[in-house]
Amino acid sequence: MTTTQPVPDAGEPPGDDLETRSAAMHDDPRFQELRGRLLRFVVPASIAFLAWYTLYVLMSGYARGVMSTKVIGDANVALIFGLLQFVTTFGIAILYSRYANRRLDPLADELRDELESEGRS
Amino acid sequence: MITMAREVSAEGRLITVILFSVLIAVTLGITIWASRQTKSATDFHSGGRGFSGIQNGFAIGGDYMSAASFLGIAGMIALYGYDSFLYSIGFLVAWLVALLLVAELLRNSGRFTMADVVSYRMKQRPVRTAASVSTLTVSIFYLLAQMVGAGALVALLLGISPGETYLGMSADVAKIVGIVTVGLLMIVYVSFGGMKGTTWVQIVKAVMLMTGAAMLCLLVLSIYNFNFGALMDDAAKASGVGDAFLEPGQRYGVEVAGDAWQTMVNKLDLISLGLALVLGTAGLPHILIRFYTVPDSKAARKSVNWGIGLIGTFYLFTLILGFGAAALVGKEAITTQDAAGNAAAPQLAEEVGIHFGGDFLGAVLLALIAAVAFATILSTVAGLTIASSSSLAHDFYNSVLRRGKASEQEEVKVARFAAIGVGVVAIVLAIFAQSLNVAFLVALAFAIAASANLPTIVLSLFWKRFNTAGAVAGIYGGLISAVGLVFFSPVVSGKLNADGESASLFPKGVDFAWFPLENPGLVSIPVGLLCAIIGTLLSKEKDDVKFARLQVRALTGAGAERAAKD
Repeated sequence: MTTTQPVPDAGEPPGDDLETRSAAMHDDPRFQELRGRLLRFVVPASIAFLAWYTLYVLMSGYARGVMSTKVIGDANVALIFGLLQFVTTFGIAILYSRYANRRLDPLADELRDELESEGRS
Repeated sequence: MITMAREVSAEGRLITVILFSVLIAVTLGITIWASRQTKSATDFHSGGRGFSGIQNGFAIGGDYMSAASFLGIAGMIALYGYDSFLYSIGFLVAWLVALLLVAELLRNSGRFTMADVVSYRMKQRPVRTAASVSTLTVSIFYLLAQMVGAGALVALLLGISPGETYLGMSADVAKIVGIVTVGLLMIVYVSFGGMKGTTWVQIVKAVMLMTGAAMLCLLVLSIYNFNFGALMDDAAKASGVGDAFLEPGQRYGVEVAGDAWQTMVNKLDLISLGLALVLGTAGLPHILIRFYTVPDSKAARKSVNWGIGLIGTFYLFTLILGFGAAALVGKEAITTQDAAGNAAAPQLAEEVGIHFGGDFLGAVLLALIAAVAFATILSTVAGLTIASSSSLAHDFYNSVLRRGKASEQEEVKVARFAAIGVGVVAIVLAIFAQSLNVAFLVALAFAIAASANLPTIVLSLFWKRFNTAGAVAGIYGGLISAVGLVFFSPVVSGKLNADGESASLFPKGVDFAWFPLENPGLVSIPVGLLCAIIGTLLSKEKDDVKFARLQVRALTGAGAERAAKD
């Protein structure tokens, strides 16, 4: 079982296969930045939509009085809350895609190209 | 409104049979074309990774929107109203888990199966064995539910009622013919067409389903002058329960007067189901392998977005269809035809057709929607079969039995035979299970995926310490607790319906149930997660270098599998 640490000596050139370079890249500040950017979106967004969905399920079970309150015509809170789940799902998907295009893809592509180019610059 | 089940006319049956035949011919044509293009393992397992984001988005929709979604949810809404909307919402919101946490990272770091990612930094054989066992269990359970449904559906769509025969078939024979036909077709699609054939069948199905459902919705709404409120009003009136039809509590979390314990159990069951639905999707093997069919992680993201758009729109359609069936067909006619409401959508099509153009248009619309339903079954079972055969060939045969030494040709050959094996097993099990109440298997498949698969996938991508013991314990822990709890729950034994007959898998009089919930997720998801964490901490294995490599590969795509060149 290998337990070597991914810390290449500063002066020593790292091995030139992709796997070795990838392991070394993990400590690169740019990779840490990329991972930070991903987690800064994904973690709060996941917590938010799961909480929002759980609230909907809990209210369907335990707050039926509120859920059956009519808002507009025959449309009650339950229906509107349900439809809002659709809206938030579409919304988060759109927001994430825009964020990923702007903040994740350029950096990920830069690191990938660097790792995959044969000679290291 | 009609109050009795309508006999399916002779010309209606003829149109249905013709449309079914056309559909089978088209899909077999696709399969022959795809089989000529399927040579390498990448072609077979992942369709050469050459599908565009949009194409894969439609295929995701085709794979995911099963007959249970189309006929099942529309029928449940028709019978129980608002409550079934919870299913649609859970099924949809679940895609955010796939989008944010799984799709792109999986595409970058894996090759053919879910196990590629989970086993990346671990001992191959134990992890791949566990992943393969879990993949097969989820897929076979899901497959069984679809195939038993297919048998009943074919009999239903041909309108063969008990005691009657059509083309020399009684209803019972027609059910078996339906199961065997669906089974043989899925074997042919997968073993010859591989992922390319399966994907195109799913794309065709998604287009048919969206078009058919949209058309039917427009017709239903036009009867109500596009006033959805009037439709809801009519549905609530026709339901016999009034406004309660539009509120939660008819089907899930039912409040039993004078029985506080049962009321509490029912409400916990609702939460348990909700959890399994939202966390299960991103752990379903046949969904996960779809992300491998596109060239890169950006296309994977795009395909999930298209999938979300299609699936979300479709579930809004089912709301209209369900309310439409409740209002225009009526509860009595729906339950006379099929107690679970699976015929509600086809019945609605017929009713709407009659409204606009008399009996002939009714027969045509019924046949069209029946063909859409048939396509729906075929594409989902094909997706499940290829997920099973890929896992058997790639994980179990190549990595476990042959320790990764099998050639590509050998692996593809094994995968083709595995598809035949899985198909035959599914046909035989479905024939034996056809008289049983197996609808719970879909929810169980989601619960296993949420308990065994999702935690291990997410931990393997994000937790540095995670190791072989943790992955194996997490998969088996989640799998065994989900299946075990359901085995000792009222769905398997001891539940009686209002008429005093058995509502469980086992006949009346057998009762070994001690777990009160019908959905195990509330317990089995935390159990799966805990097993993964405890298993990890009990083992000293740790590989920081491989974790670093996996994460860099997953996030940047460096070294990710490329599309096959034609």
